[in-house]
Amino acid sequence: MSSLYSRDFIVTLIIILIPLCLALNTDSYGQRIMTLSGIYAIAAMGYHLIFGRLGALSLAQGCFFGLGAYSAGLIGVHFGLSFLTCLLFAVIFTALVSLIIALPVLRLESHYFALATLGIAQVALLIAINWTEVTGGANGTYGIPQLDLFGVELSSSNDVLILVWVILIIIVSLTFWIMRAPFNYQVTLLKDTPEVAASSGIDIGRWRLTFFIMSAIFGATAGALQAYTIGVVSPATLEFQVMVSILAMTVIGGKNHPAGAVIGAILLTHLPEWFRFLETHYLIAYGAALLCTIIVAPSGIFGLFEKFIIRNPGYDVKSLPSKENKAVSDANSTSLEIQGLSKTYGGIKALKNLNMTLTSYQIVGLVGPNGSGKSTLINIISGLQRQDEGTIELDGSFIENTASYKRSNRGIARTYQTSLRSSDLNVYQAILACSSNQHNLKHRHNQTHAILRNSRLISKTEIMVGDLSTADARELDLCMALATEPKILLLDEPAAGLSSSEQRFLSTKIRHLAQSGISILIVDHSMDFLLPVVDRLICLDQGSVVAEGVPAKVLADPKALKLYFGNARS
Amino acid sequence: MLDISLQIILNGISLGCAYALITLGFVLVINAIGAVNFAQGDFVMAGGFLTVVLAEFMVADNFNPIRASGVIILPLVLISMACFGFLFSMIAYKPLKNRPPVTVFISTIAMGLIIQHSINAGFGPEPQIGPALISSGTITIGTLTISKQQISIILSASFLILCVGFLMNKTQLGRKLRAASQDSEMAESIGINGPQCISITFSLAIALAGAAGLLLSNQFFVTTSDGGLYMLKAYIAVTLGGWGRLDGAVIAALAVGLFEVIMATLVSYVVAEALLFAALLLVLLFRPSGLFAEAIQRRT
Repeated sequence: MSSLYSRDFIVTLIIILIPLCLALNTDSYGQRIMTLSGIYAIAAMGYHLIFGRLGALSLAQGCFFGLGAYSAGLIGVHFGLSFLTCLLFAVIFTALVSLIIALPVLRLESHYFALATLGIAQVALLIAINWTEVTGGANGTYGIPQLDLFGVELSSSNDVLILVWVILIIIVSLTFWIMRAPFNYQVTLLKDTPEVAASSGIDIGRWRLTFFIMSAIFGATAGALQAYTIGVVSPATLEFQVMVSILAMTVIGGKNHPAGAVIGAILLTHLPEWFRFLETHYLIAYGAALLCTIIVAPSGIFGLFEKFIIRNPGYDVKSLPSKENKAVSDANSTSLEIQGLSKTYGGIKALKNLNMTLTSYQIVGLVGPNGSGKSTLINIISGLQRQDEGTIELDGSFIENTASYKRSNRGIARTYQTSLRSSDLNVYQAILACSSNQHNLKHRHNQTHAILRNSRLISKTEIMVGDLSTADARELDLCMALATEPKILLLDEPAAGLSSSEQRFLSTKIRHLAQSGISILIVDHSMDFLLPVVDRLICLDQGSVVAEGVPAKVLADPKALKLYFGNARS
Repeated sequence: MLDISLQIILNGISLGCAYALITLGFVLVINAIGAVNFAQGDFVMAGGFLTVVLAEFMVADNFNPIRASGVIILPLVLISMACFGFLFSMIAYKPLKNRPPVTVFISTIAMGLIIQHSINAGFGPEPQIGPALISSGTITIGTLTISKQQISIILSASFLILCVGFLMNKTQLGRKLRAASQDSEMAESIGINGPQCISITFSLAIALAGAAGLLLSNQFFVTTSDGGLYMLKAYIAVTLGGWGRLDGAVIAALAVGLFEVIMATLVSYVVAEALLFAALLLVLLFRPSGLFAEAIQRRT
């Protein structure tokens, strides 16, 4: 997989180097536009991380750009420090600001996040216009010194161009390093299905914070370069137009790939040159191009390029190491102890003082009518929802208040009623993304392979997750859960939508897993599926256990019978 | 002192009423498609320019300034903006209806850019002034002096808000629109034409934006770069009022208008803006569901 990624890196470098070489041979006007392209490519690279890869619609990228321009420019004007010092200052300052912003804003979702980041950008603009003593007000500050490097002034447009593009190459390399396997797959999983990612041990908060700060750092770098190349900082660098331009570049070029940011930046900075009749109204063309891209080719120009020219080689199973690896960890005897669990939604008690124990080598079935609290229980054990009262004890330590991803790291895995639907990951990548963070990459590849070999998905590793059949998608859910090396496995309706032969295959697999020491809790409606496979059956009604024990005993229990078959049969 | 403060409050309410129209349209679209229409503010600006153009046309045609009053133009603006709204939904929403809401967010940003800069190319960045609703001037009641324009803004906006309330709550069309926005699949299975409902909602929303543009065009002028701020005010009002609530949105929009005018008079416009954003961030921090509880389940 890493070979695919390094090939991707080379493609990106070629996309950077060809226009750069062409630009080095043009006149100084052409070089200035290419310098601008490079600057915007850096800003768009940051936006590609937060928006393209993570899917968070930040509207603060223009603000970070402006903050970088102001902080570097003002330091340069007032203290006469070298460019690199000012750049460093701008980056640190903007990163700190983004960290402060991130604390309240990052936990907001979609449109709230967009609004909050837009509001912050608006406040920054107001400050820049009105804090005249420092910023120079609406006219901005002039007289920013020329770019210099280690005491040498870069006066020719050629030198400036090279400096900007070298910084771009550094930033692209950094981006590729951050997005190395398996993190790129984890981030995709995170973007498509945050809950699945969290219960697969991926720390959502950490990724969001990292990407938000990286986007700020890249934006500030671009802003600082912009201030130094034109010699002025003005409120125009903080206006919404900058944000919209960066967004348009990222989307039009292709938001899922670093090369897209570069392509988008080069295209859109040259567009006013190509359509001179639009004069200053080139933003009409930006808008039209953005609209066409989002409707016709949502993955942008690079997405089209990737689809038609580079054929994704996918993953070659044959080249995998054939070493036998155990799919699951050697779980010693482990136990999950739930006591006094209660949960209320408004006036409805979903769980009432529930007690339950799960132990190794044992399969427990959980049945009950709709609304009896089965899904709530699984959600609370896996950490997606919080209990109102009660404790959950895993091997002697209480975990009822730990985050979902930490519970996953400690050995609790789950599947969901609705299968993962992602169009950007194939089967292999999805499992690799969930593989336990404790191991190095090689081990994770081996482990993924081992899980696949015990699964009928072995022949389907290159199929995109969204294209799988229902049965295969359910199998994938199970494989992803296993990749986290669970001690406790919670299966939420694993047999729903499966044919009876597929159900038998699943039963056998679950049996094997239990024999390897995993403790399994299954919620399902199909008694035909549950009864042969479980060791113990728990019947839930209105949030309380009404019957519990070996299946035969529960089935003989009049209360359970009444729930399932009504009064007539009891 | 008394009439000055009353004047300020009336000013605030009339601005708030116009904001309420913008916000109502904004929420209707949010409820119908689960996505934000970022171009709503630009449609307000477009409505303002349409008013200016229609007024000039009528004055030039007849040399009778009475005929060019805002009240006469209002129905024309409503109808033509509704048509724009329909077109808008065909271009910016229909091809994307099965994609994530963020896609619609971006397509509406793109449409906003196109609208703003096309009008800018045609009219230039200078502010334009629209006609008064009925007439400018003031009425004096005892010691109170009240601007006729403000009273007529408040009256016409209230009338339109009541019409929307009546339409949504008391008519069969309104019931259909609400059903389609709550659960479009379910609505379609009982014979409601979902896509048509969404187009109607867009038309209604953009017509309201256009009406707000008309109401604001006399007192506050109309400039091509206004759209962004109007959109932000609506966005803030929706958040404060509780995402998806029509009544909360109207009340919050009134509050935003009042707050803005009072703060701008007492301190300065910049402080008013800054405090508004600060209030927004505080609400997002401590009460993300808005000051009124969330009416609909948020769709992701």
